[in-house]
Amino acid sequence: MSRPEKPYKVNLFRPKAGHMRDEVHIILAILFGWGVCTFGFQFLVYACRGTGAGSLLTRLTLFNLPLHFWFTGQFLPLWFIVLCVIFNIYVDRISEYHSRKRDRSYE
Amino acid sequence: MNDSSWSIFVVLLVMLSFILVGLRQKSRESQEYGFGGRYTGRIGGGAAIASNWMSAASLMGLAGIIYLRGYLGLSYVIGWTGGYVLLLVLLASQIRRFGKFTTPEFVGERYGSPAARLMAAVIAIAISVIYCVAQFKGIGLIFAFMFDIGYEQGVTYGALAVVSYLVISGALGVPRNQQLQYMVICVAFIVPLMWLARKLGYFWLLPQFGYGRALTDLASEFRIDFTLPFAGDSLFEWCALCFTLMVGTGGLPHVLSRFYTVPNVRDARWSVVWGLFFIALIYWSAPAFAVFGRLLEARHGIPFTPDAARAAADVIALKTALMAGLPGWLVGVLAAGALSAAFFTVAGLLMTGAASISHDLFYSFINPRASETARMQVAKGGTLVLAALVLLLALNPPGLIAEITAVAFALAGNTIFPLFLLGIWWDRANRYGAIAGMVTGVLCTVASPLLGGVLPGVASYFPVTASALCGAPLVICVMIAVSLATPAPPEEMRRFLEQEVHGHLD
Repeated sequence: MSRPEKPYKVNLFRPKAGHMRDEVHIILAILFGWGVCTFGFQFLVYACRGTGAGSLLTRLTLFNLPLHFWFTGQFLPLWFIVLCVIFNIYVDRISEYHSRKRDRSYE
Repeated sequence: MNDSSWSIFVVLLVMLSFILVGLRQKSRESQEYGFGGRYTGRIGGGAAIASNWMSAASLMGLAGIIYLRGYLGLSYVIGWTGGYVLLLVLLASQIRRFGKFTTPEFVGERYGSPAARLMAAVIAIAISVIYCVAQFKGIGLIFAFMFDIGYEQGVTYGALAVVSYLVISGALGVPRNQQLQYMVICVAFIVPLMWLARKLGYFWLLPQFGYGRALTDLASEFRIDFTLPFAGDSLFEWCALCFTLMVGTGGLPHVLSRFYTVPNVRDARWSVVWGLFFIALIYWSAPAFAVFGRLLEARHGIPFTPDAARAAADVIALKTALMAGLPGWLVGVLAAGALSAAFFTVAGLLMTGAASISHDLFYSFINPRASETARMQVAKGGTLVLAALVLLLALNPPGLIAEITAVAFALAGNTIFPLFLLGIWWDRANRYGAIAGMVTGVLCTVASPLLGGVLPGVASYFPVTASALCGAPLVICVMIAVSLATPAPPEEMRRFLEQEVHGHLD
C-alpha cells in the first residue's frame, strides 16, 4: 500500500528532486548565458565609453564591422541558436536518463 | 515592362502560386494538416515557425529602423531573436504538456475563471489588431509603390486585396503551406541583397558579411558613423526596448500556439532551434539593406534630414534596390517577398482574432447555445469588422512599422507573458492575481500616452514601445502579491500542474 505523498508545491526556485530539478538547473544556466551576453555586453560598452577599453571595443574590427556592432548584430543571434542547441541536447539527455530510470519510454 | 508593372506581375504570380500549390496539396493529402500548417519533420516545423513569424516588420521595418536609428535598431534584431530563447527554455514544452491551444483557453483553464478568460481574449485581439496595423502599413506602402498612388489609396486597396484573398482561400479551403512560404520570403529577400552587394562591388556571396566594407566606406568617404553606440539614445532605452521585444515574443498568442503543429514535445523543442536559425538568416541580412541604402544616398548627394529619413525608412529596402538600378523584375521579387510576408501574417491574425471573437466572446459569453452556423457567421463578420478597424487605424499610422509592432510586443510582454510564466512555474498563482496582473499590464502599456503629460517620470520608465522592462516585473510582483493575499487555486489544478506539466517523468 502506498503512503499518501506529501503535497508538493510547484515553484521555479524550489524544483522537486529528479527530472524537474535537472531541468530547472539547465534553464537557469541558459538564462544566465542569455542575460550576461545580451545586457552585460551593452553595460560593458556603455561603461567603457571614452576609455581605452571602450575604443578597443568600438574600433577593433571583425569582418570589417566594429567589434561591438559585430557582437550585437551578428554574434548574439548565433549565440542564441547555440544556447537553444545546448538546452535541447541537455534536456534530451536528462529525459532519456530519467525515463530509463523509471523504466518508461520517453515519447 | 517598366519597374512597377514588373513588380505587379511578380507579386500576382507569387500569390497565384500559393493558391495553386495549396489546392494541389489539399486534394493530395487532406488528412495531414494540423493547426495551420503541414508537419514535415523538425526542419519543416522550423520553417513553419519562421514563416509564421516573418512579417512586414521583419522584412521592411527592421531595415528601416536600423537605417534611421543605427545601433538602436540592433535592439530589434536581438529582441526578436533572443525572445525565442526565453520561449524555448521557460514555456515551450510546458504549455504543450498543458494541452491548451490558444491563449484564452490556457488562461481560462489554468486560472479557472471566465472573467480572466474574457480579458485574455480581449487582450489577444487587441495585440492582433495593433500587429495588423503595422502589417497594413507595409502593405499600403508596397501597393502605393507598385501602382504609383498615394498611401491612403494603397492601404485601402491592400485591405481589399487581403480580404478578398481570405474569402477566396476560405471558399476554396486552401491550406497555408508555410514551408513554401518561408522559402519564397527568404529567397525574395536575400537574392536582391546579393545582387545589390555585387553591383556595389562588395563581397556578394555572403552579403551578411560583405556589408562590413560598405560601413567602413561610409565612415571614410562621408564621415557617417553608423555604428556609434548610445549616441542618440541611452543605455536604458536600448535595454528596455530589447527586453520588451524579448518578453513580447514569449507572450505573442500566434507564436505560442505554434507548438501544437508538431507531434511531440521533443520535435517541438528542436523545431524552435531551426525556426530561430531561419529567422536569424533574415535578421543577419536586414542591416545590410540599411547600410547600402545610406551609402547610396550619400553617393547620390541626398541629404539625410530627420523628416525625410523618417518618411523613407520603411521603404528603404525597395528604395535602395531602385537607387542601385537593380533590374525591374528583381525589385518586383523583393516587393513580392515583403508583401507575401505581410499578407499571410495579416490573414493568420485576422482569422485567429475572428475565431477568438466567435469562440471566446460570442459562444462562451453571449450565446452558449449558438449553433455551428451562427458561430461561423460571427467569425466571418468578425474578420470583416477587425479588417475595417485595422484599416481605419492604418490610414494614419502613428509610427514606423517596427515601432507599431513593438507596441503589440509591449502589450503581450506586460500581460500574457507573466500569465503564462507564473501559470506554469508557480502553482499558487490564482484567478485574482491573474486579473490584477492583466489590469496592471494594460495600464503599464498605456501609461506613457495617458499619463506621460502629467507625470514625466512615467513616460521615461514606461516608454510606449518599451514599457515591459519595468512593466513585466511589476506585473509579476502584483500577481504574486494579490495571489498570496487571496485564497489558493483549486487543489486539482495544482496537482495537475505538478503531475502532468512538471512530473511527466516521475
